Amino acid sequence: MTMPPVASRPPRARRRRNKSSLAGLIYIAPAMALVTVFFVIPVLFTLWMSLHRWPLLGAPRWIGLGNYARMLTDARFFTALSFTAHYTVVVTIAIFAVAFPLAFFVEKQKPFISAYRTVIFLPVVVGLASASLLWVWLANVDSGLFAPLFQALGLTAGRVNLLATFDIAFLTIIIMVVWKIAGFTMIILLTGLQAIPAELTEAARIDGARRWQRFRHLTLPLMRRTLALALILSITGSILAFDQFYIMTSGGPQNRMISVVYYIFNQSFVSFNLGYGAALSIALLAILVAISVAQLWLLKVGEDRP
Amino acid sequence: MLKKLLSVTCLFSVAMWSTASAETISMWVRSGIGDSFKEVVKAYNAKGGDTVELTEVPFAELVQKYATAIAGGQAPDALSLDLIYTPAFAAADQLEDMTDWAKSLPYFNSLAPAHVKLGTYDDRIYGLPLSVETSIFAWNKELYRKAGLDPEKAPATWEEITANAEKIRALGGDTYGFYFSGGGCGGCMIFTFTPLVWGAGADILSEDGKTATLDTPEMRKAVDFYRNLVAKDTVPAGSASDNGVNFLSITNGKIGQQSLGAFAIGTLVTQHPEIDFGVTLIPGVDGNPSSFAGGDNFVVTKGTARLDNVKSFLEYIYSVEGQKIMAKFGSLPTRSDIAEEVLAGLDPRLGVAMKAVSVAKTPYTLQFNDLINSANGPWATFINAAIYGDDVDGAFANAQSEMQSIIDTAQ
Repeated sequence: MTMPPVASRPPRARRRRNKSSLAGLIYIAPAMALVTVFFVIPVLFTLWMSLHRWPLLGAPRWIGLGNYARMLTDARFFTALSFTAHYTVVVTIAIFAVAFPLAFFVEKQKPFISAYRTVIFLPVVVGLASASLLWVWLANVDSGLFAPLFQALGLTAGRVNLLATFDIAFLTIIIMVVWKIAGFTMIILLTGLQAIPAELTEAARIDGARRWQRFRHLTLPLMRRTLALALILSITGSILAFDQFYIMTSGGPQNRMISVVYYIFNQSFVSFNLGYGAALSIALLAILVAISVAQLWLLKVGEDRP
Repeated sequence: MLKKLLSVTCLFSVAMWSTASAETISMWVRSGIGDSFKEVVKAYNAKGGDTVELTEVPFAELVQKYATAIAGGQAPDALSLDLIYTPAFAAADQLEDMTDWAKSLPYFNSLAPAHVKLGTYDDRIYGLPLSVETSIFAWNKELYRKAGLDPEKAPATWEEITANAEKIRALGGDTYGFYFSGGGCGGCMIFTFTPLVWGAGADILSEDGKTATLDTPEMRKAVDFYRNLVAKDTVPAGSASDNGVNFLSITNGKIGQQSLGAFAIGTLVTQHPEIDFGVTLIPGVDGNPSSFAGGDNFVVTKGTARLDNVKSFLEYIYSVEGQKIMAKFGSLPTRSDIAEEVLAGLDPRLGVAMKAVSVAKTPYTLQFNDLINSANGPWATFINAAIYGDDVDGAFANAQSEMQSIIDTAQ
């Protein structure tokens, strides 16, 4: 601690400091008010609801930790959790596998680079729900695009219903999400790539580092913060996945695509157990916070060294 | 928002100018039940006086949308509610008690009894019949002719239906012999598929609704018929993932046979006159026909300010004029005292649907949404797993135990 003793300051300075901290408070007040109204209060209210048996219609009743106890023996909740984990791992790897090469591709100045960037980024500005609806049609076996196309190309013997069996439906959804999200991850990675000074790469090249070595020992470490951001956004988004399963497969085939948020939705608005839905939401919030903290720690983002 | 503001302003100025002002009643109706209610609203609005503003809500989301709207104070004045939900909503004390008014109607005793029974909770009446339909079996006469079948001969057994389906499929291309929504549409399948076991005397729930009785020889036989239809390629591949959106596939003219509802008769007759079809009762697995009596109840949100306007609208629906419009678009008469008068001169195929009432059943359970209608409920999952999956025994076992556990948790 290197703070000078407060008493040694002239009183006028202290007053000015108080004044400026008051001004600071006023400046952040609108933001704080927004966060309070739209985040803190809803979370506290959800917490409060999770301690009740709270039907959508009718009067709530206090049951303490009953909802949380029920969660521990709820097999369907754990099925949803493991499906969500499976989906998150697969889709995150797929997104990065596509977004990283794309980021390298659009980083260098070359003809039509803005056009490439725009085209790759375009799906991002489509809403996820609209994209899902679009793909429901594309994947429709009778009136869509893929099934007749594959048949015409001779890839499949007859028309295959892409959404009818788990493996192919899951693959279709993964491809849809990658198509939709990869452009966004690419932009984030691109900013990280562009922040690396050209001299460093140049120096490494002169020192004889090969392409892979430069990537492994120079690019990756320097992009750590960017990677952390992209990874956290991707993982959080995947854990909260809902629209694509709800719209494209209605959670099917045979309920094998029920993500955690889908399960919360079903509990709250199909079975009308708002209290249990709230408890599940709190559990999911805790899981998300834990995962994000773990990621920041693993990528050592808080430390000062680059 | 602007529209809302405008209508509020309009309403306000109208109220200022005339004391006997016309009111706007807001009403919701679910999608997929045909046009009968929409048409009766159109006719009522054209008469002048009160108007009804109709909002169509997707059938799979109506219950949660209405429940959240009540919780948020945004509920419509009245609702066309799937009759099987009336007890649950009445039990939650969200509906207007209409007992005294209903009993004062001179034709109260001739209103559809199943609807009134489900609209009654604790001896008070909360729901009154709005639309009535039964499930029936339809076949495309033109495809029958092309396949060398007798277009006037209704199939009476599932063996016959299967044989016909194969002959129609043999026409090739994208002409198929049979269709059903097999991808998680519990509502479609309880309506069209359970009659197969009901006709043979079995059921999926016990009489008191407290035991799941899914795994019966009759149900196994019914599942086999459908599996066989799929295995013989008589059903389009889209069926496996159709969550009800393409329920009316027969309207495309390339489906030979399908189980439908009376509303669909109205839709076919009024919107697809090019399709020449016949209807008969749905055969059970042993040939005895059965049907699902469904439809909607008219319920009023508790505490609405426009109760009297709503009542006069309902009286119009029950008039001969209103009933005739409803029937023309596929809703069977709700008043038995004027049923003949209403059906006179209308499509004779509606008579078959009316006849189905005598053999029809309506399941009664407070967990209908969880058990049957939810796309992720045990019934919808069972249909897909048993008919399209590889493990029929597993599908029966899973659905049976999950249904029982939902029933047990709710008690």
